Amino acid sequence: MPRSFLKLNPLMKEAGYRLLKRIRQHPKAPAWNFVPGDHVTIEDLKSVEEFRRQVFSQEPRRATAPPPSILSWVRSMVKRSWAFERRIPRGFDIEGDWAHIPTMSREDIATKIEEVVPADEDLDRLIVYDTSGTTGHALLVPHHPGTVAMNHALVEYVLDRYNALGSFSAPDVACINACAQVNTYVFTNVFSVWRDAGFVKLNLHPRDWKNPPFDARDFFTDFPPAFITADPITFAEMIRWNIPVRPSAMLSTAVELSPGLKKTVEEHFKCPVIDWYSTTETGPVAFASPDGAGMEFMSPDIYVEIVDREGYPLPDGELGEITITGGRNPYLPLLRYRTGDSARIRTIDIPGQESVSRLFDLTGREVVFYRATDGSLVNPVDIGRIMRLTCPFVQHQFIQRKDGSCLVLVRPAPNVPTDSEGIETALRSLFGSTADIEVRITPDLGDELPGGKTVTFKSELDLHPESRD
Amino acid sequence: MGGVTLQGPEITRLVHHMAECPDDFLASPRQGKSGIVYVDAVVSDIVCLLGGSPLGFPEGKPFRIRGANNRNYLRIVLVSCWLLYYKWFRQQQRFAKAAFEWLANGFNGLEKLISAELFVTDPDRREELARLCLSALDLRPMGETEHQAADRLKTLDSVERARVIERSKKRQERARRIREAMRREQAVQAAARYSRE
Repeated sequence: MPRSFLKLNPLMKEAGYRLLKRIRQHPKAPAWNFVPGDHVTIEDLKSVEEFRRQVFSQEPRRATAPPPSILSWVRSMVKRSWAFERRIPRGFDIEGDWAHIPTMSREDIATKIEEVVPADEDLDRLIVYDTSGTTGHALLVPHHPGTVAMNHALVEYVLDRYNALGSFSAPDVACINACAQVNTYVFTNVFSVWRDAGFVKLNLHPRDWKNPPFDARDFFTDFPPAFITADPITFAEMIRWNIPVRPSAMLSTAVELSPGLKKTVEEHFKCPVIDWYSTTETGPVAFASPDGAGMEFMSPDIYVEIVDREGYPLPDGELGEITITGGRNPYLPLLRYRTGDSARIRTIDIPGQESVSRLFDLTGREVVFYRATDGSLVNPVDIGRIMRLTCPFVQHQFIQRKDGSCLVLVRPAPNVPTDSEGIETALRSLFGSTADIEVRITPDLGDELPGGKTVTFKSELDLHPESRD
Repeated sequence: MGGVTLQGPEITRLVHHMAECPDDFLASPRQGKSGIVYVDAVVSDIVCLLGGSPLGFPEGKPFRIRGANNRNYLRIVLVSCWLLYYKWFRQQQRFAKAAFEWLANGFNGLEKLISAELFVTDPDRREELARLCLSALDLRPMGETEHQAADRLKTLDSVERARVIERSKKRQERARRIREAMRREQAVQAAARYSRE
């Protein structure tokens, strides 16, 4: 086993390495463009084991106030994180005056991350995720391999709730994470947490396969995953590509899963499609309950509340912003962190149980997608990334009309010229050289909206999974 | 310090008295065979003038310490003895014990930050030492409330300022390390995870 692989996957065994090689060298494999590892250590596995115990023994949420474990954690963070210290002065009654604790937001992570990261936390294990920016405002988020590993316990829990949990180990593939973008990382790895079971991240875009969609179909056939994670757009592409796969479950991530598409995908792949709410900053938060009544909370170490514009908690049933405290990322402790997503928490009666609190009406993750002139999908993530690489600007709005033409409104940064021609050229690399694209400089973009933040991506296209061939 | 304080002398007069400090109190303290002024003897005299008894040999030990690192401390003790010589203090005949304790223990690291002569030549440092002295004797300047006195002392407090500056430097260094680590790790790229979020 080459040392380079062990550096990335310190706990990888021979069976895992053989699986990894087999996947990487498969004749129908996609064009790999990245080689990550899980970076998991023995200590991380112990943390996973402990967290797994907590997750599987948790009681359904009923709390309308932060539980003692969260309050105690917040108190410990006041001594360690300047962001907490600033918000909770000496003598402040954390429990009694919880509603008055100033909230955190993406701006804290974007511009003051050094105040959030605990002052005494060792930086040696730090890794960084560049968030997808589905809503248009990407972010660099500090993370920890142990935290990523612990999140596996959450997907186990959810699969178990759907009676879809198998056991994971080499030489099987536990999960395929599928995407449908112009550009994304495409790679394979094995997860130490799951005894070196395989993992593949692949992209359903013609550019990534020698012979699409046939190679993709063969690849899925030879490496059938136990479960699949993808966004709804990608599920639609999987149907269009006629991917022959029968996972035990599919987790729908990133954007909203409409009931219609859920039904279509479930009928096609003959397995439950589970709406999954998670963010890079917070980790997994909630999943669609198998009983159909809202979304269940899954992480025992976070407290979720719904707040109004001023940050005050809203009563049961009212729609507001999802705000989260706690977490297991040692580099990103969260204190009333405003996610930018909206929902309500309602307490409902479950037959045979005490009443429980669940998440309903989750919004802020609207499905938006685009098509290039050759019919291939263009994801908002691709657009945001390529525009930011071209030139700086404050914000933008991208609209594709029903006829396929595109309009881009750009609010320039003060005293910084906007390279409209550069943006147009960059977008043509995604949409095709003959695409109808207009870039319009709009200095007052977003001014009329609350907080000055515009809706970044709009589309008049229909998501309709007809077959690709 | 802390607790209820009584009114002391006017701060302006005390500060003016400091400005008139004779050169003898800025002379080199006796340490071993070098220096001129026997600081323990000066302190003993002041203690007596404030209503106390002469210092015994063991009590004078803090004022006979050797080493270049302690020289500034002894010089500040001398300047403080001039401060305590102010007529108002001598008239009260009740500050001997508090004054001795302040001289023996009370500078809290100030001697590492400020050179003794600045407590004579610099207006803010004169005021700082005067206020530290009053605080040590459970007094506040005439005409000021406790809150006003504490506030003003905080503004002048060199030790607190140094602490704030040091803390700020440490935070900036930590912030730099975090940003650098994130830049470096962004280039290296993150660990595999089972879904995009």
